[in-house]
Amino acid sequence: MISRLSLTARLTALFSLVSAGVLVGLALLIGYSVDRHFAEEDYAALADKAALVRRIAGDAPGDAEMTARLAEALQNHAGLVVRLATAGGDTVYATPGFDAGAARELRTLPVAHGDHGAAQGAGRDGLTALAWHDGGMRYRAVRTRVDTARGEALQAIVGMDTEVHDHFTRGFRRTLATYVLLAALSCGVFGWWAARRGLAPLRSLASRAEIVTAQRLDERMPVDAAPVEIRELARKLNAMLERLQHDFQRLSEFSSDLAHELRTPITNLMTQTQVVLSLPREAAKYQDVLASNAEELQRLGRMVSDMLYLARVEEGVTLVRAEPLVLQDEVRALFDFYEALAEERGVVLRLSGQAGAVGDRLMLRRALGNLLSNALRYTPAGGSVEVRLVQRPGWVSIAVENQGQDIAAELLPSLFERFFRGDKSRVRSDLDGVGLGLSITRAIARAHGGAIAVRSSGGRTCFTLELPDVP
Amino acid sequence: MKLLIVEDESKTGEYLRQGLTEAGFVVDLAASGLDGCQLALEESYDLIVLDVMLPDMDGWRILQNLRARKVPAPVLFLTARDSVADRVKGLELGADDYLVKPFAFAELLARVRTLLRRSAVQVADDRVQVGDLVLDTTRRRASRGGRRIVLTGKEFALLELLTRRQGEVLPRSLIASQVWDINFDSDTNVIDVAIRRLRAKIDDGFEAKLIRTVRGMGYVLEAPEEQEDSARSGPSGPSEPAA
Repeated sequence: MISRLSLTARLTALFSLVSAGVLVGLALLIGYSVDRHFAEEDYAALADKAALVRRIAGDAPGDAEMTARLAEALQNHAGLVVRLATAGGDTVYATPGFDAGAARELRTLPVAHGDHGAAQGAGRDGLTALAWHDGGMRYRAVRTRVDTARGEALQAIVGMDTEVHDHFTRGFRRTLATYVLLAALSCGVFGWWAARRGLAPLRSLASRAEIVTAQRLDERMPVDAAPVEIRELARKLNAMLERLQHDFQRLSEFSSDLAHELRTPITNLMTQTQVVLSLPREAAKYQDVLASNAEELQRLGRMVSDMLYLARVEEGVTLVRAEPLVLQDEVRALFDFYEALAEERGVVLRLSGQAGAVGDRLMLRRALGNLLSNALRYTPAGGSVEVRLVQRPGWVSIAVENQGQDIAAELLPSLFERFFRGDKSRVRSDLDGVGLGLSITRAIARAHGGAIAVRSSGGRTCFTLELPDVP
Repeated sequence: MKLLIVEDESKTGEYLRQGLTEAGFVVDLAASGLDGCQLALEESYDLIVLDVMLPDMDGWRILQNLRARKVPAPVLFLTARDSVADRVKGLELGADDYLVKPFAFAELLARVRTLLRRSAVQVADDRVQVGDLVLDTTRRRASRGGRRIVLTGKEFALLELLTRRQGEVLPRSLIASQVWDINFDSDTNVIDVAIRRLRAKIDDGFEAKLIRTVRGMGYVLEAPEEQEDSARSGPSGPSEPAA
């Protein structure tokens, strides 16, 4: 439920709740303190009055004098109620306001917390704190023993209504409540504003993200303008866009490359077939054209298969089976295969070193095979192709080096690109590959967690395949 | 030998039927998965060529059906989708082989023959003869017209493959895989060179040439009298070579 609320709403609610909680707590504390303060004041006053009553009662020679003196002494103390009673409960003296309350059973209220603490101070003088309601009024009182001049022990209750203080307290509470309410509300409003303002960078990210499309993948999130917390997110999003843009670009290049590469052979096939069909010809001619078509189509088929293979290896769909391989055996098997070709071209194949690796036999054979056939293609007669295996801790390196014309330095990085052919103007022969071999080799190296590098100088070109011990 | 092709693409289906018929097989063609499944259950075929992607009932389900009812015929899958998962699924369900489109017809034919041979009783013959060419496969010796021919190990393996499958057009990829265990398409003409060198040893100096290039398809080795036959019946050659 909460998780469905917007972040702003959540922050606003949290802000209001917290501020309301804090304010209410504060208000309660203030209310309590005020109450306690008043109670202390009241009980202190009552203790004074109780002492006064004790003195008058102790001094007066008779009940009549005592009553008169008490009435006289108390007449200026509005709101003060006093009752003197015998131990048996008979009223000796009572102020006029007290009758109604006295007639009833004296209902002592549980002394409020604040009162209790305050009354303890009074209690030291042999006073007991009391409180009660009577006719909508609240009374605080103390009870004490009074010894008359005649030696009679009376019980005195000296009380006062707390109306003055209560009136103040009620007003104070109202004000406080209003303040708390308004403050909580304004905190909520402020919180909402702050949350909105704080989340503004997110909205700007969102609006920026809105304009990113396949055609406009170069848009980036504003990083420097964003606050620290969002900067990291923006940076991560930018990195994601970077990767997507790169992949997307590769993908579109891939399809356009493919279309270009397919266009020429398809045109050839179409033209040749239509030209042959336009006139009646001898059977041998048809056979010739069909055979040539078949060869061209085979090339096309292989190109498509290679493209798919490359795509799969690059995507990591083709799983790398990990089996321990003795690399010199694999190289020898490949040498067996290429031997006839090498001999015919007058090229010597040489192998040095030994190494073991863990990898997919089929894939690594293909990768090495591509390097070998590439090397053979560019080695002049009388030259040599050398494979060097080097085992290092954690790594295996396989170098395939051939003699031949140097590859221009500026072309080296693009050697591994799809459909790259060193010399664009060179007449394409049937022996040429489709220009995917080195891309496939690189993809296989990467699928094994390795890498491939090339250098070319001084009439030698060397491809170095580096593989980790365990992919 | 009776084959069933289940292929919904009518052009592909027709060409496959024509090609396989001309190669000497009796071929039924089903254009839908349901028809194919029915036919496969009713009739007895030596081999079934099954397209994976069919509109009504895909190749995998047909295969499951057939295997559930103990139809023993080997199944060769054809598919346009080549993923390891697909391959594994097909083989797990009991497919015998798997060919990815686009494939060379010669490749299909070679695989079909391999599968048929696998299901037939295998007789390991230690002496193979084509015309006046004789191979002693245990001692790994070859002679032609009584004259000993010295071959390297791989040359002998290549010649043995060609003679054991005489009359069949073998595509280069199959040769690379069977002789050198190279299972990827090398973009070089290694096979052509190897064949040329083999020819120099067994055909040069003889009137009748045994190894023949079939353009656009591959290589075939056959006795001269059969070459005349196959010249008449088309490049794919007769299906049942005289043993």
